[in-house]
Amino acid sequence: MISLRKVWTVAERDMRMFLQYKFLLIMRAIWFLAQIALFGLVVNKMLRQDVQLVVGGDYFNFYAAGIIITMLYSTAVFIGYDIYEEADHGVIEYLLSVPVSRKELVIGRSIGGGLRSFIYVSPMMLFVLYLIGTSNLLQLLVAFMSLFLFTFGVAGFSITLAVTIKSSDRFDILLGVVDAMIVRLSTTLYPLAYMPSYYAGIARFNPLTFAADLFRWGAGIKSAFLTSPAIGVFGIVTFFSFFTFIGIFLHERRIEGGGWQ
Amino acid sequence: MPPIIRIDNLTKKFGNLVAVEHLNLDVEDGEILGFLGPNGAGKTTILLMLITVIKPTEGTALIGSYDVTREPDKARTLVGMCFQEPKLLWVSTPWDVLDWHSKVCGLSTDERKKRVRWALEELELWNERHKSIHTFSGGMRKRVEIAKILIQRPKIAIIDEPTAQIDIVGKHRIWNMIRDLRDEGSTILLATNELYEADVLSDRVAIMHKGKLLVCDEPKKLKDNIPGGDVVEVILEREVSQKSLEELKQINRVVDVLTTKPNQLKIYLNQAEEVLPQITKFFMKARMPIKSIHMSEPSLDDVFAHYTGLTIEEAQRK
Repeated sequence: MISLRKVWTVAERDMRMFLQYKFLLIMRAIWFLAQIALFGLVVNKMLRQDVQLVVGGDYFNFYAAGIIITMLYSTAVFIGYDIYEEADHGVIEYLLSVPVSRKELVIGRSIGGGLRSFIYVSPMMLFVLYLIGTSNLLQLLVAFMSLFLFTFGVAGFSITLAVTIKSSDRFDILLGVVDAMIVRLSTTLYPLAYMPSYYAGIARFNPLTFAADLFRWGAGIKSAFLTSPAIGVFGIVTFFSFFTFIGIFLHERRIEGGGWQ
Repeated sequence: MPPIIRIDNLTKKFGNLVAVEHLNLDVEDGEILGFLGPNGAGKTTILLMLITVIKPTEGTALIGSYDVTREPDKARTLVGMCFQEPKLLWVSTPWDVLDWHSKVCGLSTDERKKRVRWALEELELWNERHKSIHTFSGGMRKRVEIAKILIQRPKIAIIDEPTAQIDIVGKHRIWNMIRDLRDEGSTILLATNELYEADVLSDRVAIMHKGKLLVCDEPKKLKDNIPGGDVVEVILEREVSQKSLEELKQINRVVDVLTTKPNQLKIYLNQAEEVLPQITKFFMKARMPIKSIHMSEPSLDDVFAHYTGLTIEEAQRK
């Protein structure tokens, strides 16, 4: 039986820990502003009229919505780095010794890792929605709920990688490669219509595609892929469920019993 | 009453290294049991298996009625641990660490604030409660680690090297706090390589070496049970004859008698308090007035040496 109180207590800890990384938070916010104010505006000017037709208006809006998803992704994966930091300081042993089950621990960490990312990116999300000029609140709510689950899924994915690899250097390098692949093989930065078919085939199953297009749908931007938002919601729920459960399974197998040593 | 901890054939191997070998031990409710041994004796590994952080390779332990291998989540509800090396992130503050710890242990908000404040004040960390841990000395970090268990007050408190890096005044304060914890109903398991700490704090001491339990008993009994473990040094008014020496050796529980000077003797014996009156009576009867008499007890180091042939310090070096 999972205790929600304990899950929340674990999640709360990860959220508080995130606030300690002030330098990281400030730098990520500056990165976001630079992407929007520099890259987004300049590329928008470069693009031809037909591109703007495909993305359903300004490329800037399309890009700004995509950047929100990359922000959510890159801050939610940070929980994996926390696990290494804790392993270095022996805090993993401490967390395994407290009266919380392993399932409560992993679910709590996924929720904490996801929620803190969501809360951190929320002001940027609202800023982007303001720039886009969104009007349909119901659509937005559905998109927000899905992004909420998306961040939990990313946190679960990061925890899974962290406990599988068990070397912070390798984790760092692997995450850099995964980041490059997962972001570029999705619709966060460009629409599916412009991708070669073999890339597009992969991008259709990428959780970042589901998240980006669902957010655009919520914000009222034309989506090239999502004929129905249900596809995006289904994709995100599957992603979240898979990595939460595989995270629990691997955590129990690899960390339980001193497997991190 | 059944023991609160029953350790049954507990074994842990790390590859070819046997860290703990077939340990069998019962711990009674409300006692302070000290694991004493040099570094690498397996003390910490035992404690980590009992708190379910690492899994035994063989055997098991019952914590209350919960099996650590089959019901680790339930077993952990009865146990709390103070680690040898403080488990703290450098960005944390003592307040955050202890507040979260008490929350995860299920304390109510009011109780949490009360206990965290009490522990921080008692351990002289109140003024530093909002400072980052990375500014703290080793001793201060250890005090934060100790505070966790004092706040939690678990049914079974596991404390690994309770006063490592703590100054002598702090040591006494922490020992008293550990005794108070026991008086409030906790059973205490502690691991230490400090002889004095094990002696003054433990009701029973389990002496470990190379993953094996050598012996477990009350400190006094351990020392008494070393053959010739007690030493009585006697200085007499005049020289002792060979005949007197032989007669002295015939007294029950006297193991050996050494003449250090013509009028000075070192008598090795067991349970000195019981034999001492006979010894004084013997000298009076032999008309050999005693100038001074001094009794010394063997230390736990002598007990360790008796079983291993090494002092703890020597074993540590090896």
